[in-house]
Amino acid sequence: MTTYGESPAARLDADAEALRAALTRAEGAAAAAYRDTARLIRLLTVIGTPSTPGRLIDRTLTVLSEVFAADVVCIAEAIDDRLFVTASCGLPEDDPAFTTGWALGPTARRVITSGSAAALHGVPTDDRPPPLHEAENASAAWIPLSGVGSEFAGDLLVLYRSGGDLFTPADLQVLLSMAYRMYSAVEARERGAAIERLAQAGPGLARHLDVGSLLNDAVVLLRELTGTDSAWILTVRDELAEMAAAADVGEDTNRRWPTPAADLPGWARLSAGEPYVGPGRDDDPLLLVPVMRDDGVIAVLAAKGRRARSFGKSVVEVAVVLASYLSAAISNSELYRRLKAREQELHRRASRDPLTGLANRMTAAQRIDEALAESPTGAAGLLFFDLDKFKAVNDRLGHEAGDELIQQVAQRLRKVVRPGDMLARFGGDEFVLLISGASDLTDLTDMGRRIQVALSDEFPLRGERVEVTASIGAVLGRRGTASASAMLRDADAAMYAAKARGTGRLEVFDDEASHRSIDRLDLRSDLSEALDRGQLSVVYQPMVELKTNTIRSFEALARWRHPERGNVPPDEFIPLAEETGAIVPIGAWVLDQACRQLATWQREFPEAHLTMGVNISAVQLERGHGDLLDVIRAAGVDPGDIWLEVTEHMDTSEDISAQVSALRAAGVHFALDDFGMSYSSLSYLQRYPVEGLKIDRAFVAAMNDAGNGGRGIVQAIMAVADSLSMMAFAEGIETQAQLDALLDLGCGFGQGHLISPPLSVERSTEALRAQRVPGTSG
Amino acid sequence: MRVLTSKKAMCGVGTSNDADARLAAETATDEALRPLDGSTPDLVLVYASVRYDLPTLLKTVAAATGSAVVAGATSSGQLHHGRLTEPGSGVAVLALAGGGYRFGLGHATGLQADATQAGRALARAALDAMGPVRSPHEAVLIFSDGLAGDQQELLNGIHKVTGFQVPVIGGAAADDRQLAETFVFAGDRVLKDAAVAVWIGSERPLRVVGKHGWRATSLPLMLSGVDGQIVKELGGRPALEVYQENFRPLDPTAKKLYQKAGGYHSEHAFGLIQPDGSLLIRGAFIDGDGKLRTFSPMPPYSAVQVVSCDAEDLLEVGEQTVEAVVQGDEPAVVLVFDCVARLDILGQRGHEEARRLQEAAGDAPTFGYYTYGEFARTTGVAGYHNATIAAMAL
Repeated sequence: MTTYGESPAARLDADAEALRAALTRAEGAAAAAYRDTARLIRLLTVIGTPSTPGRLIDRTLTVLSEVFAADVVCIAEAIDDRLFVTASCGLPEDDPAFTTGWALGPTARRVITSGSAAALHGVPTDDRPPPLHEAENASAAWIPLSGVGSEFAGDLLVLYRSGGDLFTPADLQVLLSMAYRMYSAVEARERGAAIERLAQAGPGLARHLDVGSLLNDAVVLLRELTGTDSAWILTVRDELAEMAAAADVGEDTNRRWPTPAADLPGWARLSAGEPYVGPGRDDDPLLLVPVMRDDGVIAVLAAKGRRARSFGKSVVEVAVVLASYLSAAISNSELYRRLKAREQELHRRASRDPLTGLANRMTAAQRIDEALAESPTGAAGLLFFDLDKFKAVNDRLGHEAGDELIQQVAQRLRKVVRPGDMLARFGGDEFVLLISGASDLTDLTDMGRRIQVALSDEFPLRGERVEVTASIGAVLGRRGTASASAMLRDADAAMYAAKARGTGRLEVFDDEASHRSIDRLDLRSDLSEALDRGQLSVVYQPMVELKTNTIRSFEALARWRHPERGNVPPDEFIPLAEETGAIVPIGAWVLDQACRQLATWQREFPEAHLTMGVNISAVQLERGHGDLLDVIRAAGVDPGDIWLEVTEHMDTSEDISAQVSALRAAGVHFALDDFGMSYSSLSYLQRYPVEGLKIDRAFVAAMNDAGNGGRGIVQAIMAVADSLSMMAFAEGIETQAQLDALLDLGCGFGQGHLISPPLSVERSTEALRAQRVPGTSG
Repeated sequence: MRVLTSKKAMCGVGTSNDADARLAAETATDEALRPLDGSTPDLVLVYASVRYDLPTLLKTVAAATGSAVVAGATSSGQLHHGRLTEPGSGVAVLALAGGGYRFGLGHATGLQADATQAGRALARAALDAMGPVRSPHEAVLIFSDGLAGDQQELLNGIHKVTGFQVPVIGGAAADDRQLAETFVFAGDRVLKDAAVAVWIGSERPLRVVGKHGWRATSLPLMLSGVDGQIVKELGGRPALEVYQENFRPLDPTAKKLYQKAGGYHSEHAFGLIQPDGSLLIRGAFIDGDGKLRTFSPMPPYSAVQVVSCDAEDLLEVGEQTVEAVVQGDEPAVVLVFDCVARLDILGQRGHEEARRLQEAAGDAPTFGYYTYGEFARTTGVAGYHNATIAAMAL
């Protein structure tokens, strides 16, 4: 401290000078004491200030440079005979010390081996790194950063002064203490930062619902948390380890995966759920951490150290925590995947027809509405069709063959469908084709034709070749007025109209069809109540022995008198009854009426030996629809006097042979109605115990046509009947010429308007009475 | 990057007091270019009062100096060739050509937010501009916004790129004592909250010297309470009280050249005790709220002393500084960064200082400005000073 102002008296100069010198010394000592204290406090403050591990090291080295006036302060890692600098204050950032390292000098080596700090003044050449090669007066201090054999063995704190003072033993003490504190702080903060990072990223991992992307994220996190260049994740399945994700700097490129898990280093530890730290294949340190589930290893986290430095305790701990996060996340994603797959399967099942994989009814309805909404033309076309002879195939070749046929048909139809169209199966043999963007009826008929063509080639089925045609109903729906349900209803109606006109037809729904459709719907619902409301009645058409014109039998025919429409023709309401299932109660009622009437007539006219013919539907012969024999017996007639008339179209999916056999055994006779109209006629004759053939009215009507074809057919039918010991009955005799021709061919029995129309009970009774008196019958 | 061809550097200095930015710039630049004999300058330094329309001024200089690296700062007065331009006016331009020097210009902004990061970016930019070839001797010349951020942190960032072997010289920009806004110049750009660096490559050693001439007036004290630039406690007691207790007696005869702004008390400052016992000066002032402030934050728990000085010491130390950088060579110019606090204390003797510095420099012109902080980093990382004079010869 310099004093200012006036000097004291001259005689006091000497004293003052001495005092000043003492003061300067005292001041110097105080400054040194304060400086030493201050540097300790500054270092402790820096180490205690919250920051990232990297920043902590950076700040500490800067403060060390300041408070020790060191030109270079660095943390270095000794690997073999090189010293690699990992952080410094005083070296330029591009110094090779960071990448290729310095030669490890003898003093640094001694410090590492002994674990004791060292200081030198006038550092010898081999202890001076390249940046200080010219600094011959340099001083240096080497401080080991951790005990020998511990995690950081080989790490040094080194300070250089290019031309400064010696580092004193007191300096070394301070530096040792600071180095220890700094490293403890760095380690604690590294761990804290890693845990924090993990805590942030952990929940993020669980959000991955796909294992692939989960592992891709996890491996990046793993590399970050372990502070390595190379990290990868192996999945382990069936004792094979497979590379699943890598955050890697050209690592293990030559390695072939999968590899047996047992070949992984430290597999014994891993399979016990413990991490492995040790040398890898190329002696670089390797950290492997198992990801466990149900006591088994499902994956392995792997990280490779950059240099020959082992993984610290905290790194291993953090990786173990990551592994447990990952285990949970993998389970999550797998659960999700299974759930998703099940949902998709459920949805597929709900929306797809299981047999063909086509859309089902529900999906179709949805798509029709969508197509209407999205169609550029504002319209959508719909074809509703079924296969004309499918039930016959089913009956003949069995259900499995039927299913196979449906699959084949679906396969052909798929080729017809254009992109954007939708083909659906509605069950049974019903299909729907949605034509998006249809603009007029031509589009529908064109598509209908394509369907017909697609089906025109025979289908190979169980060694046979089956012909299939489709009856197609088409409708064009317009946005704003049409709906899926209305279009389906109308197309369905049009299909029935097509079917009514024969096989392989296409009917476009129009206003007429619309009315028919509505009629049909009304009739359907009315019919279900007709029986209860007493609107049904039975009429009887006589069947005569043609030679004598004597009534031998009656055919019971149902009649429906609709309160508004009047009489509804049987060919209209019987198919409806068959469709709706109303045929079962109606059929049973007709049979009951007919049998009771027969019993009545037999009592009154025992000499006539009357029998009764009753039409029967296939449905009535199926199991679960009551026992027809009970009805017959309850009416008090001999089953042998009853002829059940079945049609060739009697397709049924049920096995009806049991009921047929029982009826036949009881004496009931079966006759085949409309014989000759179906290609399968002869096969029917083999399958059912038929005893009579009814020659269809079409053949009878054709008997007198030019060319004589009709007559030939009738003759042929009669020959078939004769050869099978069956009776032949002619239907629909309307003219004398037909009667003569039949008599000429030797036909025994017949019916028709020429002989008698269907009669009421009363008129029938009268007719029976009339023929008692010889010569009065017509 | 500029590479000079001529072995002997040529240098010119020009000044102007014209109130018009364009005229002042043209006049000063013309004068600076004249001794170059038509050679294109490689380095142009510009020091200017904040009163100027700075963008116009810099555009004018840059336009007249072609491809030269242009750098500089606003000042609180300039000194050039033995003359002093007082704070509040003037522009001074240096033009240098030849001498085998290489220059790389860089700049960085965001000092307030992160001075370390800015320093690192600044040095990298300047080094990049130098290209891949390194020179046997290098130094970094910097100008920083003197009112933005922690200047030692800026230096810490630069140090990461330069390492200990490349000295740093320079100054913080000033604003004629208004303590309002200071700017630095990079090319024709005028920047705030920024720093500019010129990485200099040289065939001969570049010596950086900084000296202050201050003496302690107190015993060592512990800086026990500090909050950024506010000093709260010294040795566990209220800082202002302790600070004022240690003022030296006033010299009633001293005359001030300028009225002091605010509570600025330029005769006293803090000295940060360095490991070798030397002091790093930190200027201090008492603000309007009666708080004791420094221009740049001091590290907490530093050992400090209150320091003071007298004019004679300051003049002497200035001469020593210039002599130390010239050292018998015949440089083309001596760059000087002189603290405005020193000018305050020197009062009328500021002109004497300018003259004596030039005498110390011999034939080489002196060229400098009065700063709000000086950079002279040679040993260790510490290198930001206050109330100091720093110099380097080219």
